Amino acid sequence: MVESLKSWLCGAILLVAGLMQPAFGASPSFERAGFAVGLCGDGAAQSRVLDALIRSSGEVTAEDLAFAGILLGGLLERRLVCLGDTAVLLEKAGAPDGREVVSGGVRSTNGGRSPVLGLRQRGLVETALGISALIAGETVELRRKGLAAVERRMAGVPDAVLVRAQDNESDAGLKTAIGVAAQGAALSSPDPARRLAAIRAVAEALSGAAFSRLSALKSDPAYRADPAFRAALEAAIAKVERAVWIGNGLALLYNGLSFASILFMAAAGLAIIFGLMGVINLAQGEFIMVGAYAAYAVQEAFRRFAPGFLDLYLLAAIPVAFFAAAMVGIVIEALILRHLYRRPLMSLLATWAVSLFLINFVRVVFGSQNLQFAMPSYVSGGVPLYADFIVTWNRLFAIAFAAITLVLTLLILKRSPLGLDIRAVTQNRDMAACLGIRTRRVDRLAFGFGSGLAGLAGVALCPIYSVNPGMGATFIVDSFMVVVLGGVGTVIGTLVAALGIGGANVLIEPFYGAVAAKVIVLVGIILFLQRRPEGLFAVRRRR
Amino acid sequence: MLAAVIGLVLAGALAILLLQPAPYLVNMVGQLAAFAILAVSLDLVWGYLGILSLGHGLFFAIGGYVCAMHLLSHAYAVTGVAPDLMQFMGWKTLPIYWSGLASAPYALVVALVLSAAIAFLFGYASFRSRVNGVYFSIISQALVYVAMLLMFRNDTGLGGNNGMTGFPLLFGYPIGAPGMVTGLAVATLLALALILVVTRALVVGRIGRRMLACRDDEARLRTLGYSTTRLKLWIWCLSATIAAIAGILYVPQVGIINPRVLSPDLSIEIAVWVAIGGMGRLGGAVIGAVAVNALKFWLSAAMPEVWPFILSGLVLVVVLGLPNGLLDLAALRLKPTWLRRGGRLG
Repeated sequence: MVESLKSWLCGAILLVAGLMQPAFGASPSFERAGFAVGLCGDGAAQSRVLDALIRSSGEVTAEDLAFAGILLGGLLERRLVCLGDTAVLLEKAGAPDGREVVSGGVRSTNGGRSPVLGLRQRGLVETALGISALIAGETVELRRKGLAAVERRMAGVPDAVLVRAQDNESDAGLKTAIGVAAQGAALSSPDPARRLAAIRAVAEALSGAAFSRLSALKSDPAYRADPAFRAALEAAIAKVERAVWIGNGLALLYNGLSFASILFMAAAGLAIIFGLMGVINLAQGEFIMVGAYAAYAVQEAFRRFAPGFLDLYLLAAIPVAFFAAAMVGIVIEALILRHLYRRPLMSLLATWAVSLFLINFVRVVFGSQNLQFAMPSYVSGGVPLYADFIVTWNRLFAIAFAAITLVLTLLILKRSPLGLDIRAVTQNRDMAACLGIRTRRVDRLAFGFGSGLAGLAGVALCPIYSVNPGMGATFIVDSFMVVVLGGVGTVIGTLVAALGIGGANVLIEPFYGAVAAKVIVLVGIILFLQRRPEGLFAVRRRR
Repeated sequence: MLAAVIGLVLAGALAILLLQPAPYLVNMVGQLAAFAILAVSLDLVWGYLGILSLGHGLFFAIGGYVCAMHLLSHAYAVTGVAPDLMQFMGWKTLPIYWSGLASAPYALVVALVLSAAIAFLFGYASFRSRVNGVYFSIISQALVYVAMLLMFRNDTGLGGNNGMTGFPLLFGYPIGAPGMVTGLAVATLLALALILVVTRALVVGRIGRRMLACRDDEARLRTLGYSTTRLKLWIWCLSATIAAIAGILYVPQVGIINPRVLSPDLSIEIAVWVAIGGMGRLGGAVIGAVAVNALKFWLSAAMPEVWPFILSGLVLVVVLGLPNGLLDLAALRLKPTWLRRGGRLG
């Protein structure tokens, strides 16, 4: 009974105090001349005027705040000179005369001195400057900087400042950011009801940032003392945690899908060539590089001849990269591989020599640094979909690209005369030759086609990964594993294997690291080959 | 021809002992001999069994790493000065898997058994399911690639990126002394000669005939009732052990081991030495390894930009024009039948 009476009394007093608070600040206490003189005084005087400014900054007019900001900026840069009853602001430190701060008249600085700031006052000045920039800053950029400064010193900033800044803000992005900052302030507010409301509001955001913010509150004394607070906090954390978990899972799958898309494009060519001729092309990674460098060349051409259409270069690069890589492939087939079909192990060495040559050739011509690509608007940025999961356009570009490539490859293999020939030669070379198919020509075209697919992979990955002469090595071992797992000469097998290996890599990575992911995938493939040595989808054929 | 090569190797050892050339020259000869052993180990499986391993650097590295661990723990036991590696890892004492490695015989056994065991596991899984030809090559390449990624990590506890270096002692004597350099080079040359004699005895005997039969037509040999899996597995493990010996002899001579010996490119280069020297001939492997590496020592110092172009050109010329490598130049046109007939997947 006594306890409840006490708490009621306390509540009443708080309530009255709360009602009275606006009355104290009702007369805006800012007075320009007094502020300037205060800044010229000793540490105590400086603290007094700065405290007063910060406390009343929710009500002071924007003009006065801008004025204070100019003065404080001058103070920090030692452009403020005090002359007894007034102060002068200089154009630049050390100038012989400047303008009087209140009247604006020109005055000499003779006999004046620049006030020195103590450590505590410096903190106050930075807070006040931040508030001034946040509310009275003229550009979005200035206000954003002000917000950053305010957020660093949130404890000393009255809530009214953020409310006011949010109400006045015209830029939507900054407005949201101010709202988030205001929530953060409310989270540590002394009023329990406001805290609970803030916890619920923060939990609406469903982001990793919100999660870490809420988790930090677990060390708050109220977490132990106040069961209501504890329950609300735990419910909010559980909600956000689940959403973040799902969002991160989606992001992982998405990254895995885009990685798999590039693997697929690199490996589809390998699988077709391997199925047809029993040759593994160790230079496939370098064909990817050729594609990426072709895209770079197209970009440079656009930059020089049609700068207005620069955004379109990535689309224009698609056929260029395909034909560039295909031509390199056909030349290599005609000069080298043609002679090695009966010696597949030697063709490994020959294609390795080709890859060594291409890497060093590109290194000599272009240098070994990463290429700088201008990112067209359609591959930069993304759309936040759920929690922290953002659908980034560059990865979506790669996925869509791979999907189109898949469809076209299937169409060519299953519906075109060339595809018919390729399938026939893959299944039984001698019989196909007897039926009048020019198997050597099919080999060459198929090799060009497979190389061209690798070139396409080069275009798809240049918005995501870095492009340099050694880039092929990043993908080559994985794409070999895709061929081994998927089975030779099947596009669908390649697709499934690429999805499996790409997915497994990104799914294992967050838990055990990238290296362990590779180890596990390799061991998994070796074990898998115990059951199905021909891969997932083996083409039936005679040997 | 092999007799001539063995004779040259022994003559080299004798010349080093008698003439006492400059230490750097002796050291280079010793390194070349270690590479020659490595090439012989690959030729044994590739030239005689038709299995092209693109991951032989793994077994070389196992020998090298165990040797480096022995050298470090030996020096630690003798001098009591903690090696840099312990400081780097923040260890107070060497971890449990280093125990005993200070003893040379035990370290030798560990290196050989470990490489043979890993070769056995990988070979058993592959040969049992009849993974062969190009398939086997690229899976073995993935194996060495993964091993490289693994060793690049610092928490593997074997020096990570930096590997292991700064070996002061070998068998209690300072490792840089001229006598030690000579001793190592001569020991490597003798090991090479011994390995050549032993492998030759192997390949000319009954097992050697079976190996060639397996290379030329594995299915037929299997149909005749031979277990090709067991044959391939034994020779594969033997080859891995020889590669580990090369690694053991190599590390004290260069004074460093790091994950770069596990790069897939180095493993392919081993095959390139064999191809250039002439595969399927033990002497050819030695000639190839020595010729290519001597050229590499010279050119990668004199004109480092040009070396990759020369190497790739050399490979293409040999692969296209000289199926038996430099031995073709010597007009020894003893083309094995399988090169003319050939199977689709090797």
